[in-house]
Amino acid sequence: MMEDETFTDISGKAISLGCQSHSSLCREFTVSSPKVSVAKVMVYTCCVWLLAYSVFFFTENTAVLSSAILVTLLGMVLHIHFVKVDQESLLVIGSLGIQLSSSYASGRETTTFIEMSKIKDIVINEAIYMHQIIYYLCVLLKDPSEPNEVSSVVPLFQSSKPRLNCLVKVYKSCQEILSKCR
Amino acid sequence: MGQRRRAGTVNTSSSQRFSGAPAQAARKHNICMVSDFFYPNMGGVESHIYHLSQCLIEKGHKVVIATHAYGRRKGIRYLTNGLKVYYLPLQVMYNQSTATTCFHSLPLLRCVFVRERITVVHAHSSFSAMAHDALFHAKTMGLNTVFTDHSLFGFADISSVLTNKLLTVSLCDTNHIVCVSYTSKENTVLRATLNPEIVSVIPNAVDPTDFTPDPSQRQDDRITIVVISRLVYRKGIDLLGGIIPELCLKHPDLHFLIGGEGPKRIVLEEVREKYQLHDRVRLLGALEHKDVRGVLVQGHIFLNTSLTEAFCMAIVEGASCGLQVVSTRVGGIPEVLPEDLITLCDPTVGSLCAGLETVIARQRSGFVPSPASIHAHVRNLYTWRNVAERTEKVYDQVAGEGVLPFNRRLQRLRAHCGPVAGSIFAFVAVLDFLFLLFLQWLVPDRVMDIAVDATGPHGLWRQETSHVEMKTENV
Repeated sequence: MMEDETFTDISGKAISLGCQSHSSLCREFTVSSPKVSVAKVMVYTCCVWLLAYSVFFFTENTAVLSSAILVTLLGMVLHIHFVKVDQESLLVIGSLGIQLSSSYASGRETTTFIEMSKIKDIVINEAIYMHQIIYYLCVLLKDPSEPNEVSSVVPLFQSSKPRLNCLVKVYKSCQEILSKCR
Repeated sequence: MGQRRRAGTVNTSSSQRFSGAPAQAARKHNICMVSDFFYPNMGGVESHIYHLSQCLIEKGHKVVIATHAYGRRKGIRYLTNGLKVYYLPLQVMYNQSTATTCFHSLPLLRCVFVRERITVVHAHSSFSAMAHDALFHAKTMGLNTVFTDHSLFGFADISSVLTNKLLTVSLCDTNHIVCVSYTSKENTVLRATLNPEIVSVIPNAVDPTDFTPDPSQRQDDRITIVVISRLVYRKGIDLLGGIIPELCLKHPDLHFLIGGEGPKRIVLEEVREKYQLHDRVRLLGALEHKDVRGVLVQGHIFLNTSLTEAFCMAIVEGASCGLQVVSTRVGGIPEVLPEDLITLCDPTVGSLCAGLETVIARQRSGFVPSPASIHAHVRNLYTWRNVAERTEKVYDQVAGEGVLPFNRRLQRLRAHCGPVAGSIFAFVAVLDFLFLLFLQWLVPDRVMDIAVDATGPHGLWRQETSHVEMKTENV
């Protein structure tokens, strides 16, 4: 593991980049964002409960309170299971392909694998995202039948959204490996 | 305020070059051209922006263009020589012009200005709402502003009264204004009650290699008059409808070739029907820009019947193809070509017919300069390099001036634009400033990535070893 620079994501939150070299043709990059903060959970819970209490104050219906408890619990579960990503990793294996995996706060993991024959290149691209213009890393895919055309684009590190300095680092090492196996 | 913020960006962006730059004679600018009108939309403003940008890039400046998204063309694209174009997803309201609320475009435009380290914002065309928005935001952010006006307006009807008021508000604190002819300058100064000293005149240009003469395409047994314009009232198509029958009766070998489309086409069709001129008046319909030369070289005389015109590109193109030019004496037209290349008439049927008759007589006697000599004369009159050189001088001057501080800007608005409109827009300017502060709190400048330069002093375009490879995609 090496961590000599501090990286942030596009909204300024600190993230860390782990770079593991298994062999000269196999490298793994892990971008981890900070864990769910207790303060944030408290703020959201308080908001829902205060709202529920004010409704309860007028309606005097206890079902409001119990539903508020349910909403917060369910919301938290759904959030950590489907939304909050703790870690995203990119495993590049020179001769085989690229594996993308993201692990959610609940421990759930999703993994996709792209074969080398489908990969055209890895590039840094610019896009308009919400009210910002950002850089992102993406894999260009090709159809094996048409090797010179880009058939689709797979964005990498979609939930952590690191900034350019971090992307450049990952990009350079990826290109090193890709150039070796061509 | 705005100035302080910019100073901060310059320091963090690791450029010693910027602090030392004002002392140097050849100063390089980071220019952002903003207009609603850009390719794939076609027209004079679009080609003006494109050619000017290319020539400025050639001179070593960094140029980016911001426009609104055209259909599926949104995001960031690169054109020839690394000219970067931002197609921002803003809602189009009318005639390819975006809706304006004065605020909603600020987040994206700020992002463009900050990440590209823009020093001069150059807005184009008074019909473009996005250009006015960009001027407004750029002034709030403390950037230098230049505006180019491409059209003439009236003063009398209610719509021009309103547009002129908006123009007054938009231009009263803009650093410098560029007009395409002296008539246009006079018009803009009057409309926007400006100080004439901050208005420069830089004419448009044509690419002379696109418009070369080819006399072999002409048919020598007849005299052909070419008209190329949109068929609208402003272009004097009603006059043309009066000229055609009168001249066709007198000269049996006279033919008309008319290119363009518009609501006034019906006038010409009626004339053709009434006088049975189907074989002598050809209506070609809408022409693509690349086909224009092919039509021009078939004619002997180029006729322009415009009723108002800031700077007529068409007559320069006509002359460049070696045609005799006959035009109305309106707007900026008399300044465009030297007297020996153009015959000017009053905008009446009688005067235009008289003018055409003399040119036809001259043509018959063979007493006209050859197309090649006309082309040689015209080709050095209007070049884009010359336009870029003059625009560069405007940028240099503007960069030395500094931006109006916010409190002075509010005073200027209230003093210059009348008590009611001035106060309203001063209030809007304050809101815009507060919104900017909010955005700077939400997404501070330091978390925005500085864009990799494609053009300019540190441009990476064409360099094989560029460390970041970029592709443009629809996202």
